[in-house]
Amino acid sequence: MALLTPAALARLRAWGARLAATVAAAACLAAAPAPEEYQVKAVFLFNFTQFVEWPPEAFTDPTAPFVIGILGRDPFGSALDDAVRGEKVNGRPLVVRRYSRLSELKPCQILFIDRSARGEAQKALAAVDRQRTLTVSDFAPGAERDVVIRFLTEDNKIRLRVNVDSAREAGLTISSKLLRPSQVVGTSAPSAP
Amino acid sequence: MVLVTSGAVLLLTSASLFAYEFLTFRQESRQQLSTLGKAIAANSTAALAFDNVDEAEDVLRAFEADPHIVAAALYDVNGKLFAVYPKGIATADVPATASRSAAQFSFDGAYLVGFHPVVENARQLGTLYVRSDLAALNSRVRFYGGIVTLTILAAGLLAYVLSRQLQHRISQPILALAHTAGAVSEHRDYSVRAAPVNTSELDQLTNAFNHMLQQIQASEQRLRTQLGHLSLLQQITRATTDRQDLASIFDAVLRSLERDLPVEFGCILRRDPAGDVLLVHAAGPESRRWSEALQLTEGAALVVEQNGLAACLQGKLICEPDAGALQFPLFQRFAGAGFASVVVAPLMAESTLFGALIAARQRPDAFTSSDCEFLKQLTEHVALASQQAQLHNALQQAYDDLRHTQAAVMQQERLRALGQMASGIAHDINNAISPVALYTESLLEREQNLSDRARSYLTTIQRAIEDVAGTVARMREFYRPREELMTLTRVDLNRTVRQALELTHARWNDLPQQRGVMIELRTELSRQPAEVMVAEGEVRDALTNLIFNAVDAMPDGGTLTLRTRVLAGEGGDDAGRVLIEVGDTGIGMDETTRRRCLEPFFTTKGERGSGLGLAMVYGMIQRHSADLEIDSTPGKGSTFRLIFAAATHEVTGMTQRLPCAVVPQRLRILLVDDDPVLIRSLEDILTADGHHVTTANGGQAGIDAFAGASRSAVGFSVVITDLGMPHVDGRKVAAAVKSASPATPVILLTGWGHRLIAENDIPPHVDRVMNKPPRVSDLRATLAELTGGAGEARSPSLGVPA
Repeated sequence: MALLTPAALARLRAWGARLAATVAAAACLAAAPAPEEYQVKAVFLFNFTQFVEWPPEAFTDPTAPFVIGILGRDPFGSALDDAVRGEKVNGRPLVVRRYSRLSELKPCQILFIDRSARGEAQKALAAVDRQRTLTVSDFAPGAERDVVIRFLTEDNKIRLRVNVDSAREAGLTISSKLLRPSQVVGTSAPSAP
Repeated sequence: MVLVTSGAVLLLTSASLFAYEFLTFRQESRQQLSTLGKAIAANSTAALAFDNVDEAEDVLRAFEADPHIVAAALYDVNGKLFAVYPKGIATADVPATASRSAAQFSFDGAYLVGFHPVVENARQLGTLYVRSDLAALNSRVRFYGGIVTLTILAAGLLAYVLSRQLQHRISQPILALAHTAGAVSEHRDYSVRAAPVNTSELDQLTNAFNHMLQQIQASEQRLRTQLGHLSLLQQITRATTDRQDLASIFDAVLRSLERDLPVEFGCILRRDPAGDVLLVHAAGPESRRWSEALQLTEGAALVVEQNGLAACLQGKLICEPDAGALQFPLFQRFAGAGFASVVVAPLMAESTLFGALIAARQRPDAFTSSDCEFLKQLTEHVALASQQAQLHNALQQAYDDLRHTQAAVMQQERLRALGQMASGIAHDINNAISPVALYTESLLEREQNLSDRARSYLTTIQRAIEDVAGTVARMREFYRPREELMTLTRVDLNRTVRQALELTHARWNDLPQQRGVMIELRTELSRQPAEVMVAEGEVRDALTNLIFNAVDAMPDGGTLTLRTRVLAGEGGDDAGRVLIEVGDTGIGMDETTRRRCLEPFFTTKGERGSGLGLAMVYGMIQRHSADLEIDSTPGKGSTFRLIFAAATHEVTGMTQRLPCAVVPQRLRILLVDDDPVLIRSLEDILTADGHHVTTANGGQAGIDAFAGASRSAVGFSVVITDLGMPHVDGRKVAAAVKSASPATPVILLTGWGHRLIAENDIPPHVDRVMNKPPRVSDLRATLAELTGGAGEARSPSLGVPA
């Protein structure tokens, strides 16, 4: 088979040119500033909606919006609002609700517990127990109850820790794809890699 | 050829297979890469979603399973490079950014590259880039190329070996067959055959070909035979068309059969009209040596029924392939003589058997159906030709008879017309010279004191008158019927011939010798007397005339032959015939002369001939109811044959002239005539004899005179009347005389005498007819006879004045 035809040679030269362009682009990427930590976490919060399955009874009615709640102080600024603006989950509009104290807490599908509400974490977890609420935090809430997903920071990178027992108790199904890049804990968790 | 064909087919097949494999493999590779990319993309969603490069690289490491994946990369949703594979690859090896687009894979030079979107729940989270080298494809291409080359080589080798074998087993016999076909069409020789081969299919082909050749050969053979038969038939037809007699037709047919069909024996039989018997008519020249053994010599008889030929009666052809198997004597004889095959073909005329053709061959079953058909056609033709020949002969005979009769009738008619004319002339001359003769005779007799000179003159006149009367009489001779008074005596013609020869001795012996010419006389007279009833003088005169003619026909000498023969009669009243032949070896006569030689005044002798000689002979023949035959060939001579009926009994002449006396006494004579000169001369003569003569000028005057005399009781003792007169002719005068006085004799005087007899018209009341000019002496004798006067006198003949 004649692979080295003049046309093939021309393609080789074009390939060389593209190689040079790619090298230049990589240099630009390395020089860009790292995004803010909560900007990333905000995107992650939204991304959870893609890898977790909520049963229909998680919503009060078929038209009820998909609610991402924030307990305590809002660390995201406008980042979370930017991330969810215009997005929908299974046809439901996505809204962000902020609960500054536990008493304000209302049923929601994702509940991010900020460090500021650390003291009320166990109560909050008890409040949404079996409410099909994906609980997320970036701290350890204590020994009694654990959130479903916890943000970890390793080597300046944000990683996920998923407690499958909490997820099962909350009545949520977490995609195996999400489990793959995450650190999984719980009785039903596979032996950690 | 086989090699090239199979090579081309193989090459084409391999090339298409190769192309198909190549395209399929490319498609498969793309599909494979796409599938792989899809799987990797699906697995890398979480890594992208949660910004986990390690995890992404981990996912990309799955490409290790395929060694041909040389590079891969993941880009985030913004198209920025996120992770690469293999780890540590220079980032320049992958595209710096990726566009958000649908999955697409394409061949780019030596690589297969593609992008695949990373999608989770319909949201694109990033893009996967994969680059695969084409080593697999190339190795596959090389592998297939090797296989194809090997296959072609092996197939070519196999094809070569097989074609060698097949060429030997298939092409050779077919080429041989083609060669045979070429030979057949070139030489038109259908007897050659293709050699057999071992292969069964080709063997069938060869057999079929040979069978076809055989058929063609047989057909051609049949055609040639038919053609031969046709041409033989035509040849025989042509041969027989020219022939009009049966013997010659049969001879031609048999010769052709022996020579050209051929047959070893051939003969033709004719049916005996009396019954169902076939008589051998003719055998072919070669076949005659068998005739004795087969008892088929000419004239031998075969009874149809006894010889198993009954089928021939119905017109059926008998074809016997084995003669010995039949019990009939004919076929047994054939078998005995060594002939196994016999064909009997009937000759039919109007559905009736009139003959048969027998053909035989020694070999058994030697006559094919084609031969038989030919013989059948031949016999049909021969039958037709025979019939035609018979018809032709009958027609020819009838025609000859008719022509002969017609000629005879014309001759008779012409002679009769001439005879009438001659009679008329004779009558007038006789009338004219009668007074001269009467007066001359009377003067010489009565005038005693005539001077010598006067007596001499009168004698000369009398001789001249007698010559004239003689000529006129001869002229009448040639057509004068037999007269009642003609004297027939029993005469031995041998004697008459001798007399005629003596009388003419000077003419055939002395005169020619004076001229130095020799005429040899040959007389062949019958040993037994040639007796006939004739007027001998007439026969002698006729013979004399014939001898003169014969001598005149031989101016340079020759042989004069006189022959008499007596032909025996066939019993009964027929007492046979007597012939006199007068032959010469002179100049002969041509056809015209021969036809006219009997006519009066026809002569070839110029001034010397009177043209009356043969006419007289003819008259004599007519009067004697005899026959005259004339054979003559110009330059060879002529033969005159007189044929008389032989004498049967002793009775002499029909009429015997009684001797009569001169009339001495005076008679009262009534003389009736319309010619005053004749009346006066007769009156003078009769008066001089002492008779009392009354004349009447014309018939009515005569009747009146006779009636007047009867009333006066001084009747006439004799009436002499002329025959031809105006108003009342001699017949009426005679009738009137006889009615008034039956005892009175009537003498009819006429120049027509013979004609009255010819027309059987002798008037019933006439006692005697006298010709003019009457001679005084005859007149006297007649008067004496009729009036019963006594006295011996001359006995002149009224018949023929000499």
